[in-house]
Amino acid sequence: MVSPILLIAVPLGLAFAVLLVGFISRKLVKYVPVLAMAFNLVVSLLLLPRALTEPIIVRTGSWGPPFSIHLVAGPLGLLLASLVALIGLMVAVYGTDYIREGATRMYHVLYILLLTGATGIVLTGDIFNLFVFFEILCISSYALVAYRGDKAGIESAAKYLIQGAIGSSLALIGIGLLYGMFGTLSMADIARNISSVSPLTVFASMAFLVTGFGVEAAIFPLNAWLPDAHSSAPSSISAILSGIAIKAGIYTVARVLFTLYGAESVLLFVAILGLVTLLIGEMSAFSQNNIKRLLAYSSIGQVGLIVFALGMASVTGVTGALFLIVSHCLAKSVLFLSAGYMIHRTGSMEISSLDGMGQRMPLSSLCFTVGAFSLIGLPPFIGFAGKFTVIQAAVEQAGSFFTVLMAIALVGTVIEGAYFFRIVQRLYFKPQSQGSPGETKGRQEAPVSALIPIVVLAVMIVATGVYPKLLSMVLKPAATDLLNKADYIRHVLGG
Amino acid sequence: MRFLYEYAHYAGCFALVFIGLYIVLVKHNLIKVIIGIGLIDTGVNLFLVTTGYIRAGTAPVFSRLAEKPEQMVDPVPQALVLTAIVIGVSVLALALSLAIRLYGRYGTLDLRKIKELKW
Amino acid sequence: MRKLISLVLLLVVAVGIGMSLSGGPFGAEGERDGPHFRRDQVNFGRYYVHEGVQETGAVNIVSSVVVGYRGLDTLGEVTVLFIAATGLGMVLHLRAAGRVEDGREPASLVLFTGCRFLFPLILLFGTYVFVHGHLTPGGGFQGGAVIASAFLLVYLGCRERRLNERALGVTESVSGVVFVVVGLIGLAFCGAFLLDFLPRGTAYLLFSAGIIPVLYLAIGFKVGSELGAIIDKLAERAK
Repeated sequence: MVSPILLIAVPLGLAFAVLLVGFISRKLVKYVPVLAMAFNLVVSLLLLPRALTEPIIVRTGSWGPPFSIHLVAGPLGLLLASLVALIGLMVAVYGTDYIREGATRMYHVLYILLLTGATGIVLTGDIFNLFVFFEILCISSYALVAYRGDKAGIESAAKYLIQGAIGSSLALIGIGLLYGMFGTLSMADIARNISSVSPLTVFASMAFLVTGFGVEAAIFPLNAWLPDAHSSAPSSISAILSGIAIKAGIYTVARVLFTLYGAESVLLFVAILGLVTLLIGEMSAFSQNNIKRLLAYSSIGQVGLIVFALGMASVTGVTGALFLIVSHCLAKSVLFLSAGYMIHRTGSMEISSLDGMGQRMPLSSLCFTVGAFSLIGLPPFIGFAGKFTVIQAAVEQAGSFFTVLMAIALVGTVIEGAYFFRIVQRLYFKPQSQGSPGETKGRQEAPVSALIPIVVLAVMIVATGVYPKLLSMVLKPAATDLLNKADYIRHVLGG
Repeated sequence: MRFLYEYAHYAGCFALVFIGLYIVLVKHNLIKVIIGIGLIDTGVNLFLVTTGYIRAGTAPVFSRLAEKPEQMVDPVPQALVLTAIVIGVSVLALALSLAIRLYGRYGTLDLRKIKELKW
Repeated sequence: MRKLISLVLLLVVAVGIGMSLSGGPFGAEGERDGPHFRRDQVNFGRYYVHEGVQETGAVNIVSSVVVGYRGLDTLGEVTVLFIAATGLGMVLHLRAAGRVEDGREPASLVLFTGCRFLFPLILLFGTYVFVHGHLTPGGGFQGGAVIASAFLLVYLGCRERRLNERALGVTESVSGVVFVVVGLIGLAFCGAFLLDFLPRGTAYLLFSAGIIPVLYLAIGFKVGSELGAIIDKLAERAK
């Protein structure tokens, strides 16, 4: 009786019950997210083979689509749901020790709810339900960014909240315009009806939806909140925000553009926007001194590359974008998690304080290096497979315009390589500068609960890099799922 | 002219939304910005309900007296707005709590002065 | 400068919206009068209004939409309120502990007695609203908000009274778990989450409409306790 709805219902129930668990024992509370995410991982991996052939349509309530909310668990949805569960599980294990002071019970509740929101976004087939789960994701992230309670955290959370709230209202206006025009909220139904209306009429609603959801996806003019929010949050939350929240935003924008609107003509504009985001992100990262801000700007750069790959709208292009999504999730999480304990040890976020960490925290530095090399796109890691697929897609496109764009994108990769190599060099080859007072000298690794997730993720980066076939078996059907609007409508509404 | 007659009731909703957007874009006081967000939310909710309106319609509740389904306004936007109002209230509550902490830390609510985080 | 740019931006947006509204029939009104009124097209409003009573048993069609047809949205909405209450508690957690009464004058006898008198009446009204949610306009959220306004009255009028935070937290958690469990029971026994597994009954009676009254009960308690917790946290004066 395994059904995709369990992926949403069970973590939700566990989140509500955390307080009751807290009455039994304070210590058990930090294991509830681990339990919830482990359950999600198992269920989504069990469902994935079934969904590769035909998406699983689940109805809620007593009536079928389109009159009731239904979940559409296709290969893309379950792939992203398993990714969310995997990263969620790893960071939850990391968080059992990393989060020690403050309102820990509330942290764990909000953590589970953030991940439930992300899972709900990728599985649902109804646009207002998408909005509700999107809000669950956003509001938990506003609260979690402010977790530390220091000046920077509260300021970033306030600015993030203001921009996010405007974005959500714009998206809601878009949904209202769609409902007024078509009288239905099911995405498959709207997709079916849009082809019968002139594009000019629906352009405004598309603009509102893309702008509204694009705030969370951190596309170029809308990502002013990202560097502050990702650098001021606690490191486990930075990993989740960079790894999962942005991807949920990108998924939403992609779903709206491809499945709802089938907007072939806008995609070139989207690709150029992605390119601009990439260049700005990488160039800003190059000049940073603060490690977390650097990683945040690097996230912006990667988002630009993903959007550029999506803008190519061919199966290879979207497969490349999905490869990049998986690789960025894994790599950025490793980077933020290992940097987290390094920062905790030296007490400062400056890059200069990372000098010589290679001797002092060898395992964390090794995994950090693995993550960095994967992001740049060096061969035995998954990042290479991703970037290679994107280059392949650009070359396949008719006309040399895309090849020129691809060349510009490669410039971004070179800049990325430059700053990451600089950091790795400092980790291993620079001797430790005067340490901060009160810091222990010599070798002292991060605690076991932090090492397990970091090492597991690093191993996965290497494993999927060496055998990319494992992943492309799932990614190709996922890409066709996103691109093929007619099939989506057929599966949900039947014929 | 006919356009204005048919769509006059949408003008009010969008006027609220635009006033709210103007406030958020231009004002510096954090409380005013939060009020602006509230105005945008109110305007959008009003817009959603208005899409379901029928002239001379009744509420979509059956009672022993009035049983004509054709005269009822559309119930779906009302359900959507229930959800949207609650979401709006939650965002405002969180924003106000952040404003309380910001005031405690910085001593001012002027957004131009709250710029601890540089480039 | 900033003002000029914002005004231009808003103008562009307004033109876009105007273009969108004028292309074709818009809204329920347009659907009805326009020449494009197509009977074969899916239209939620018309469908729910015609089939709602028979399919869900609730006389208030908005309730049947909120809890019956779109129950997952309502679960999400309840979750958002929960996140707001928890997030608010977390952000305000680290303020200086201890509630310092900074010399506000205590309420006068008339105010105090009046509030004490009104408090149970307001609670009663709120409970009535959510218990009868499937029969008359109202429902869980509306009833919960009325209950929370009773708590607010006590804070404003009878100033020294405080709510029991632990009780609020427990009510919140238990009602949330009840909602999810009801949904899971539907999944386990009848095949779909939030399936209506209780008998529909005859319309217009209190015990009708399947699981709608049960869910409204859970929602009413949850919303009331959550809004009460938000009010409690915001009303703590710290120094």
